[in-house]
Amino acid sequence: MKMKRILLACSSGMSTSLLVTKMQEYAKSIGDEVEIWAVGQDQAKKEMERADVVLIGPQMSFLKGELQKEAEKYGIPVDVIDMMAYGMADGKKAYEQALTLMGEK
Amino acid sequence: MEKLQLENLTNEQIAFQLILHSGNARSKVIQSLREYRGGKREEAEQLLKEAEADLSVAHHIHFQLVQKEANREKTEFSLLLMHAEDHLMSTLSMKELVKELIELLKERNL
Repeated sequence: MKMKRILLACSSGMSTSLLVTKMQEYAKSIGDEVEIWAVGQDQAKKEMERADVVLIGPQMSFLKGELQKEAEKYGIPVDVIDMMAYGMADGKKAYEQALTLMGEK
Repeated sequence: MEKLQLENLTNEQIAFQLILHSGNARSKVIQSLREYRGGKREEAEQLLKEAEADLSVAHHIHFQLVQKEANREKTEFSLLLMHAEDHLMSTLSMKELVKELIELLKERNL
């Protein structure tokens, strides 16, 4: 199976870093090969080239349109992290959201 | 918006809830100013109201933490919690400023 590359973006890259760890743990537990990483908002546009999907933090949702435009260049989906998943720091739910966006679930 | 009780949440989830609700508010505050710039005054005011509702949920979480400490029940300190508090406080001041700014622009018919 192809490696899945998931980029998380939030204003500073701090809160999502913890979510990244939880998503990685969950992906590993079900045997998926993944690269998941978090960046701050300035880096998001530069890094999305390497990603299959971009998830953004709630504090960045006003940038969704802008990021989507950029993501169109690479043909990858962008969405705001599900509120329940984010609020409960739920790695499994966030990972499943990424898979759904990638059309793998 | 429904107020959140902390009893069933871990420390980590409390921090994430703070960031979530402050974060939603932050996005709406910025969007509000953008709508205003685009000539959509009513949308701008609506967004600001929604941001205030989000902030009140976040502030209620913060308030409960402060109350707990006042009752000599310490919350475990972490950088993540500090970061979450940062989110709330910076968004609160951002909201106040944007609110004033929009009033000012309205008064000047801009």
